[in-house]
Amino acid sequence: MVKQTKKEFRKRDFFYLIPLWGLSLIVPDADDLYSYRSKEFRKREFYYLGAVLVLPLIWPDPHFHHLMVLAGIYAILALGLSLFLGYAGQISLGHAAFFGIGAYTTAILTTRYAFPTIVAFWASALTAAAAAFLIGKPILKLKGYFLALATLGFGEIFLVIVRETQTLTGGVIGIFGIPWFSLAGFSFDTYLKQYYLTWGVVLGLFIFSKNLVRSKLGRAFLAVAGSEDAARSVGIDVAQVKTGVFVLSAAFAGFAGSLFACIMSTANPEAFGLGFSTLIVMMVILGGMGNLYGPIFGSILLTCLIDILGRYQEWSLPIYGVILILLLIFFPDGIGTRLGIRLIYLVGYWAKKKKRDAGKL
Amino acid sequence: MVAWSSIPQLLSSGTTLGAIYALVALGFVTITRASQIINFAQGEFVMLGGVVTFFLLKGLNLPYALAALIAVMIVIVIGFLLQVTVIYPLRKASVLILIIATLGASIFLSNTSALVFGTLPKALPPFSGEQPLRMWGITVVSQSIWVLGTTFLLLIVLFLLSHRTPLGKAMEATSTDPLGADLLGISRNFMVFLAFGVSAGIGACAGILITPIFFTSYNSGTLLALKGFIAAVLGGWGKNSGAILGGFALGIIESLSVAFIPSGYKDGVAFAVLLLILYFRPKGILGSPFIDSRRW
Amino acid sequence: MPLLIIKEITKKYDGVRALDRVSLEVERGTIKGLMGPNGAGKSTLFHLISGIEKPDSGKIYFKGKEMTFLEPHEISALGVGRTFQTVQTLGNMTVVENIMTGMHLRLKGGLISSGLWLPWIKKAEKEALNEAKEILDRFGLLGRWKSPASQLPLGKQKLLELGRALAMKSELILLDEPASGLTPVEIQQLSETICQLKKEGITLFIVEHHMGMVVEIADEVAVLDNGKLIADGPPDAVRKDSKVIEAYMKGKRVDA
Repeated sequence: MVKQTKKEFRKRDFFYLIPLWGLSLIVPDADDLYSYRSKEFRKREFYYLGAVLVLPLIWPDPHFHHLMVLAGIYAILALGLSLFLGYAGQISLGHAAFFGIGAYTTAILTTRYAFPTIVAFWASALTAAAAAFLIGKPILKLKGYFLALATLGFGEIFLVIVRETQTLTGGVIGIFGIPWFSLAGFSFDTYLKQYYLTWGVVLGLFIFSKNLVRSKLGRAFLAVAGSEDAARSVGIDVAQVKTGVFVLSAAFAGFAGSLFACIMSTANPEAFGLGFSTLIVMMVILGGMGNLYGPIFGSILLTCLIDILGRYQEWSLPIYGVILILLLIFFPDGIGTRLGIRLIYLVGYWAKKKKRDAGKL
Repeated sequence: MVAWSSIPQLLSSGTTLGAIYALVALGFVTITRASQIINFAQGEFVMLGGVVTFFLLKGLNLPYALAALIAVMIVIVIGFLLQVTVIYPLRKASVLILIIATLGASIFLSNTSALVFGTLPKALPPFSGEQPLRMWGITVVSQSIWVLGTTFLLLIVLFLLSHRTPLGKAMEATSTDPLGADLLGISRNFMVFLAFGVSAGIGACAGILITPIFFTSYNSGTLLALKGFIAAVLGGWGKNSGAILGGFALGIIESLSVAFIPSGYKDGVAFAVLLLILYFRPKGILGSPFIDSRRW
Repeated sequence: MPLLIIKEITKKYDGVRALDRVSLEVERGTIKGLMGPNGAGKSTLFHLISGIEKPDSGKIYFKGKEMTFLEPHEISALGVGRTFQTVQTLGNMTVVENIMTGMHLRLKGGLISSGLWLPWIKKAEKEALNEAKEILDRFGLLGRWKSPASQLPLGKQKLLELGRALAMKSELILLDEPASGLTPVEIQQLSETICQLKKEGITLFIVEHHMGMVVEIADEVAVLDNGKLIADGPPDAVRKDSKVIEAYMKGKRVDA
């Protein structure tokens, strides 16, 4: 009896794991850092696009779709943050606040003032960007630990304000009943539709970021990280660049927050704290800083990781803490993405096994 | 609506709170002086001090003083373990990685505490009875006297240790001139190791002192750590005297703020102070040996 | 009119006068050297000219306009390029990108236009890449154009930094101890390159310890000692100036 079920399990698994396997062969290695900025890389990118488009159809599990929707939202967040952190070399522990600003803006505009979600989407990005601009000016003069602390402080102030302004934000309870995201009458109400929505946004922002990074602005970001004195000596206004990247990354976070609100249908302050900011930073680090695939890959990986940890209930957070530390000790430059995808595969394999054993498959 | 009449009372509670912030700040500064690292898990030392003592007292029925002593020792050991398992492997890592790693440690410690000791807030009995004292028209909880007194005592002990004992002097040397101390044969890693222990011990004491007044639960550590850090920056980052001054200053500012703004915003006050200080005078009140004036 | 005019510049650090009423001029199309014993204030003067520090008193004029209190990036925009004593190449980028960063001010493109990769951005980038490659070819760095800049040996990194300043099409390039850390052969190559730049009309102001190099290529040399200007003129004359010899002799052996 046991033998039979084992065989059955393996066949099914192969089928589900082929796309991940394929992905592992074509995701860039950490050393490919420079080649990916060249033309030869184009072919690979079509494979990625194909994988993204096809993935949810190959694996029709709704839970998986939901997971990938979240991964997509976090990917948008991480993508923006990676421009600030990975390219311009600054630190922010407060990006969850921009995410929250985006989510609340959408929540308030759609529930209180009946704005269409698409308008709220752009408004969210704008509000987050404006907030970043306001605090960026004074804060970005700081470096290292102090910048980290200042951004952390901002994140905490945001939470305090949200909790206290009951009439606007619903305080600790939050806002309910946020409508599904809809575009010209088409409503994104299933996980599958939401998947294509979020990853469509990821794609758009990814292309935008990639163009940016390839242009003189991208070089300006890297110059600020490489040597501020050298950057100034070629005429780059370092303060302006830092503020610009900060605002841009906040706008991305605003987009992500807006989608998040529409998908979760609620917005409450607990989701937007230091823990979440840490998670996003971790996604950027883990994926490998200095390239744009890193944050996307990192967000997929960590979203899956968190989902798997969720099975462990109250042990999930302590284990998460330990895993964070271990990952930082062993993969400070990010998981060589080839290796990392293999890890996803293993983790996915193991998770399916657990599910199987619990009699759910 | 400014409640002027409450000010003396607020000053008093602010001073007590300030003593705790001062101790937490001191814990931060001790580690930073030895290793240039900011330990985001500092607050967990404080939390564990209170929580472990509670467990030993109520769960194992040990006498109060003994429970406290053992708890402090346990937390010191945890501090050592933290250095060995997290800080030492990452000793060459970038600032960013160290920040996230200590945050990870903080997550681990606070949630493990929730698992082991439960999530309910814990309160320890006050050291000397429940009766509040009335002095000069304000009510002072007797525990506050203990807090201030013990803080003062701890400071004296620390001062003596760092200036009169060989180990203490070695730690001071490493803080002031890491390269020089290294050349003299003082092991940098061992100094960091010790710093973590000392810092954990200070934190644990703070936790035991404060739990009779405010409840402690598994997640009290994070906010306390942040405020302790803000206090250290306020007073003058990197200086022990700065940590103490900043602690009291922040405690009083935070307490007094309640008279002027809705109490829900109280936690935000500390962060507002942080942003103001970092913008106008990053060196802090007493100035900082760490911040290069040219770059700021 | 002299390209760069420095008038009565004074800079104090904690009461110590790093520079004491220093005045000098650099004529267009020449190579001017700045020398002096260690701690004489040479790097400080460069920091002041490039805007990283601000003087306590005095003025600096470039092309007739005052630029004493401008920000470093504004000064660069006026046409002043610079290399650094501790080579500040951008190690996180490739060699060619370092040069292209030098073209920052000359390239047009904003946030939206770059993000959308409009056709004229694509064209501008292509042209920039070609021009950068040409500059690299000139310095013999073309073979490594795709390598991360941090992988180049020191001598080549210094050339790269010079190339970056060149890409700015600056009229004045400040060179801060370009020869330090280089082998004699590399110093020779550097000297030739600098002379070549002068032929193209670029003005160069060089801080340098290596007296041999300076005497060979400079049209004029200024010497600082303890923050004061003690000599300013043709290299041969300055070399023999007794004050200069004394300054270098103070407790040291004569090397050059």
